[in-house]
Amino acid sequence: MPLFEKLIESVIQGEEGSVRECVQQALSDHIPVKEILNDGLIKAINIVGEKFKKSEFYVPDVLWSAQAMKAGIELIQPFFQKSDVPPLAKVVIGTVEGDIHEIGKNLVAMMVEANGFEVINLGVDVPPERFVESVRAHQAKICMMSALLTTTMPTMKKIIEALKEAGLAGRVKTMVGGAPVTKQFALEIGADGYSPDAPGAAELAKEWIAG
Amino acid sequence: MAIGFKSQCVPTYRVLTEDQIKEIHLATLEVLEKVGVRILDEEGIQLLKEAGCQVKNENVLQIPRGLVEESIHSAPSSIQIYNRKGNEVMQLGGDHVYFGLGTDLIYTYDLKTGSLRRSCLQDVVNAAKTGDCLEEIDFIASFALAQDVPTNLMYIECFKALLENSIKPIFFTAAGAEDLSVILQMAEVVAGDEARLREKPFLIHYSEPTSPLSHSKSAIRKLFLCADKGIPINYTPALLAGATGPVTLAGAITVANAEALSGVVLHQRRAKGAPIISGFVATTMDMLTSTAVYGGPEFRLTHSACTDLYHYYGLPVWGTAGASDAHCFDQQAAMEATFSILMGTLEGANLIHDVGYLGQGLIGSPATIVMGSEIISYVKRIRRGFDISQEQIAMEVIQKVGPGGNFLTTESTRRLHRQEHWRPKYMNRDNPDMWKEKGSKTYGERVTQKALEILETHRPEPLPDSVRQKLEELIKKAEKSLMGIKFVV
Ligand code: B12
Repeated sequence: MPLFEKLIESVIQGEEGSVRECVQQALSDHIPVKEILNDGLIKAINIVGEKFKKSEFYVPDVLWSAQAMKAGIELIQPFFQKSDVPPLAKVVIGTVEGDIHEIGKNLVAMMVEANGFEVINLGVDVPPERFVESVRAHQAKICMMSALLTTTMPTMKKIIEALKEAGLAGRVKTMVGGAPVTKQFALEIGADGYSPDAPGAAELAKEWIAG
Repeated sequence: MAIGFKSQCVPTYRVLTEDQIKEIHLATLEVLEKVGVRILDEEGIQLLKEAGCQVKNENVLQIPRGLVEESIHSAPSSIQIYNRKGNEVMQLGGDHVYFGLGTDLIYTYDLKTGSLRRSCLQDVVNAAKTGDCLEEIDFIASFALAQDVPTNLMYIECFKALLENSIKPIFFTAAGAEDLSVILQMAEVVAGDEARLREKPFLIHYSEPTSPLSHSKSAIRKLFLCADKGIPINYTPALLAGATGPVTLAGAITVANAEALSGVVLHQRRAKGAPIISGFVATTMDMLTSTAVYGGPEFRLTHSACTDLYHYYGLPVWGTAGASDAHCFDQQAAMEATFSILMGTLEGANLIHDVGYLGQGLIGSPATIVMGSEIISYVKRIRRGFDISQEQIAMEVIQKVGPGGNFLTTESTRRLHRQEHWRPKYMNRDNPDMWKEKGSKTYGERVTQKALEILETHRPEPLPDSVRQKLEELIKKAEKSLMGIKFVV
């Protein structure tokens, strides 16, 4: 099987070891990093996304592929600067203060990571200041907030305002989600985006970065 | 006839054999002893250390099996619950089955408009009235989340609404130990004082550990507060198999059981003999939509196993039934409510909540409560079984009527039809013409109408004025002390 075909198949099957082997091979064959990323890893994860949309793949399948892809990215990341590949866009994500629901937030984090982002996961019960600090420190492009309680939803507004006050408004986009969060609510609090689920969150993040 | 022949046949059901129960119990003990549980509260850690638990790392503690067994023994096997007026109404334990409402639903499927909207305090009032009126509903709960009330007072106002609109026992949640302590003060006012509330509790607090194998600071503080005051607490995890627990049902059951039993240990160490209702929910996360499934078949299997385990432990056990994943009051809602109420009843869970829940724990529907009440009534008829005594076999009557006769006019038909034959309240048994004449209504339309009628006509017994006044004062004080502060999570 040609190398790229094998790489793509390995990502789809979630075979981390095989993905590493293929990427190593590609690197020693002097294939440009950009090509490995775009025509190999990203192409593969897009196929996985399509399969998920058609209900051929389930969430655990997608996450295994995501992990396999991540293993590949880790190998090529050191070469990004030397090639013309821009560094991965960074995403800060957390469940807001007062809230300890983490399953959905972690799912979003994994899906976003699977789509070629570097994710900084702040965990649960995260106060607004920590979102702001983290966005600033990592120069994150996107700040994602999760809330599963109607009582903690208003904190998202505080975070968006705090980001503005910190002068980060134009530099970071905000995305909100969680079972009680709606599109309407996202609009009201001035969030840049919303998605009802993890694949949608990754999709939107990709759109934003593509410009 | 055989010696010791029991003439009453009662259908029951269990899923685990005694050997299988022991197998899961041993696995649970192994998890507690080797893997341990994460305790996010200093006081909780201290208490477990003193009880002989090893600190595995930082806040993960390993609980020795002796301590678990000891706590199972010291917890009461039966808890008497009263109503607001001090009458005995629920004996939680054994295979007594009681049904009631759930808490905190963000949306309400509106009775009048038939569409979804955000829940408010009036929906809590409506739920209390509905639960108060329906005889199959044994206890009430907020059902809706009062989103028109300031956050820190939400659960306090809900509790007041429940007190004012029903005399039935109250199953309730709180945001933290902060508002819980105000709610307990309110309950003391209703009961007379702290001692009388302890003696005749008419309320059960509901708090939960976090799967997998964690106890948050807030959950432990609520657990301890109830333990100290002798208020019955329902401390039970909701695990999602494949996400917050193993994907296999046996694994999910084992982990959830370890969470529940570590709660019993914490509680009994804090106050030996204090009342606790235990058990767990171990359902699945849907692997396509990644939502928490409330109406699936695995939920029923794991819950039947849970009930078997807690019957074996001799501890009162919690349950969930009458709930659905459907987003509106439709055929799916009816199907999932029926299966769950049937299995919950036959397995013999004691405190079965969430009747009328839709949309995976996000949507409340008063009409669905009414439907649930009829399913409960139906299922309880099944559970009552029938008698096979000589009189009931009715040989004499059979002889008398003989071939070709009719039984409609016999004395026994007239005397026994009411007790032998269950009668529906809202289900259709009309002939086609009669059904048309009555407006060709669907079942959904009939129970919706009943739900509306309850809200219009049912007058719950009010609280005495003096009590109401004292409650108002407590809430005024709480407004000052709680507004704007951050609760511990
Ligand atoms: C599991 C669960 C818990 C677990 C959480 C375990 C854990 N490790 O996370 C535990 C037991 C700890 C828990 C505790 C509580 N819970 Co809870 N919980 C749930 C439950 C059943 C499922 C949530 C879940 O994990 N779903 C599966 C995941 C995958 O879905 P998801 O989180 O919605 O995420 C998806 C989308 O929303 C979206 N998304 C999520 N985040 C983000 C972020 C971004 C940026 C984007 C774009 C998208 C996005 O993508 C995800 C994947 O598709 C819900 C009911 C429900 N149907 O939501 C109640 C629910 C959320 N809980 C509720 C309540 C009341 C509580 C408690 C207050 C109960 C109590 N009194 O103790 C406590 C609160 C603790 C706290 N301070 O946070 C209520 C909320 C009501 C309200 N106030 O709004 C609910 C709705 C149930 C109910 N009606 O009672 N809970």
